[in-house]
Amino acid sequence: MRITTDDSHLPAGAVTLANAEQLRDLRPEVQAAIADGRPLVLEFPKWTDGRAYSQAVLLRNRWHHRGEIVAHGDVVADMAPLLRRCGFSAMQMRAGQDRHVAERALGWFDHHHQRDPVVATGFGAEVLS
Amino acid sequence: MYRSTDSDRRFLRQRAAQFRDQLERHLRGELPDELFRPLRLQNGWYVQRHAPMLRVAVPYGELSARQLRQLSRIAREFDLPAAPHLNLGLPPGGYGHFTTRQNLQFNGIPLARAADVMDLLAEVGLHGIQTSGNCIRNTTSDALAGIAPDEAVDPRPYCELLRQWSTLHPEFAFLPRKFKIAVHGAAEDRVAGDWHDIALVLRRNELGEIGFRVKAGGGMGRTPLLARTMSDFVPWSQVLVFIEAIVRVYNLAGRRDNAYKARLKILVKAEGQSFVEAVQREYEALLADPLTQAIPQSEFDRVAAGFADDPIAGPLPEPDLAGWPSSSAFTRWLDRNVHPHRVAGHRAVTLSLKRAGFAPGDATADQMDAAAALAERFSSGELRVTHEQNLLLPWVPARELPALWHAARDAGFARPTVGLLGDMIACPGGDLCALANARTTPLAGQILERFADLDEQHDIGDLALHVSGCINSCGHHHSGHVGVLGVDKDGTEWYQLSIGGSDGSARGAVPGQASPGRILGPAFAADEIVDAISALVALYLRERQPGERFAQTAARLPLADWRAATDAVRTGTARHDSAPAHEAVAPA
Repeated sequence: MRITTDDSHLPAGAVTLANAEQLRDLRPEVQAAIADGRPLVLEFPKWTDGRAYSQAVLLRNRWHHRGEIVAHGDVVADMAPLLRRCGFSAMQMRAGQDRHVAERALGWFDHHHQRDPVVATGFGAEVLS
Repeated sequence: MYRSTDSDRRFLRQRAAQFRDQLERHLRGELPDELFRPLRLQNGWYVQRHAPMLRVAVPYGELSARQLRQLSRIAREFDLPAAPHLNLGLPPGGYGHFTTRQNLQFNGIPLARAADVMDLLAEVGLHGIQTSGNCIRNTTSDALAGIAPDEAVDPRPYCELLRQWSTLHPEFAFLPRKFKIAVHGAAEDRVAGDWHDIALVLRRNELGEIGFRVKAGGGMGRTPLLARTMSDFVPWSQVLVFIEAIVRVYNLAGRRDNAYKARLKILVKAEGQSFVEAVQREYEALLADPLTQAIPQSEFDRVAAGFADDPIAGPLPEPDLAGWPSSSAFTRWLDRNVHPHRVAGHRAVTLSLKRAGFAPGDATADQMDAAAALAERFSSGELRVTHEQNLLLPWVPARELPALWHAARDAGFARPTVGLLGDMIACPGGDLCALANARTTPLAGQILERFADLDEQHDIGDLALHVSGCINSCGHHHSGHVGVLGVDKDGTEWYQLSIGGSDGSARGAVPGQASPGRILGPAFAADEIVDAISALVALYLRERQPGERFAQTAARLPLADWRAATDAVRTGTARHDSAPAHEAVAPA
């Protein structure tokens, strides 16, 4: 998973979803991005607002998005393992977060009690190249 | 009990190492409280009134003697002996408090030593994972799981599968609010299922296949609500998929704007049938996805193997009663604290943690060791934590009952009050908990003192008194036949009294029917509340019909009668003018 700090730019052509979208149906803009394999950006208004984890899982498993999914907003280092396991390919952290801490956060567990929610679709535990 | 694997143990060590790293970063100032707090909550660490509180998970209430001895060691070596509530002339050495969700809480361990404690817990397969925080909490079950005569299907393997599935599930670590699941497989609901976010009731369909009735949307707190049926039958191998659907819909749709309105019960009440349909749609979408996995039979078999063989020799003949003690103390103990068993010649035995001089549910380090020794000698080394904050020995040969009684008495565990007024549930309350509005421990002590006469308690009979120090309802006051809620008025301690609650067990007015208690007027002062409870008992004794339990009388007589009885004992809160009495604000 790509880890960036807050002064980097979002990928070109990215489409941002609202945190409150439940993804039962997709906006045309989002559908187009998925069809093109363009990046999708999911927002964390507060790092403890966990809606985007479910959004990412649905985008991978239900809507078969193969492109990037970027975590954006109030994103902190300790979220890294959760993000990766839910199919995020990148996390853009808020100010003051250390990318080395995030990288370390990825390495505490060699296995979990449940498989990654998105592993079957080729994301999650198998890190995107 | 579940047989843990090398990878299970390694997982706990890795979790403890992760927490140690987070704690050290926090203590060095690199991880501010805003970022550390949710992480420590998800390892069970609250910061409380006098010292941090650790909530240790006891999976569906099952505990080994070895684990209990480690908990005793932690209490003895880490729990601060100077906690204020220890003004009871008791030896130093720390305490644990067994909770209404079958967990264990320590109230005096300094945060700087937290990582050492997590390492010690991990040594014996214990932890505090997800015992707090906005995530899926400890799955609770029947203390008689696997041994109850009225049980159709043993829930424990399913509890363990659910525990593993929900532990560090990455999608559901930051839900709108906490999430509690209870499971049982018996005719009687002894798990307060309807009061949970999800209740799973094991059953067989007409074809004899095993599955679950799934209910969702129950909860206590400011807005007591009962769970409603989501599905009458989910095949056992699909149950995790169904739960995933519920939790995902909740994660996406639950309120995030107001923590007091964020529980699943609020969403279920607001959306009603459309919530049920949303879950059904998500469930069907998951089933339609070829990559969705049901629980493999092989995984079920692996987990179930640990529970499959009873840790006893087998059925025994019923004992010859010649030579058994003839005292009323022993007879009462048999009657209240000893329970029927699935296996012939065996019993389940409650070790009561309700006695004068101790807060309900508390056990000192020495007492934990004593309970562990009883388990080793009489119960194949196994114990359960009960929803009523007692311990239970699940594998006792009936012929050992006299010896067990003597040993339990010596240890202070044999007070014959299970199910009676003296068996009251109480949260730790204001002595220890920063959230509490009022203390509960002195109240519990006063009640035990007022009703110290066992003859009187036995005459009163079955009565569930539940005491919560605040609206977070850890004392389950809503489901008490008599409920007491600590409220803060003008910065002093007041107690709101309610009647007619039920947890949905056979102890309620209508077996199987859970109900929230109804409030009896304005709150009572601290010097009135015990009199008010006594007035309820007195009215019951006066008005009961032959064989009628308190809960039944509470349902039969109008609320006004109970109200009049308790109003009559008010002193400071008595109304002297003719204006209508101010009604305490009921939960919205």
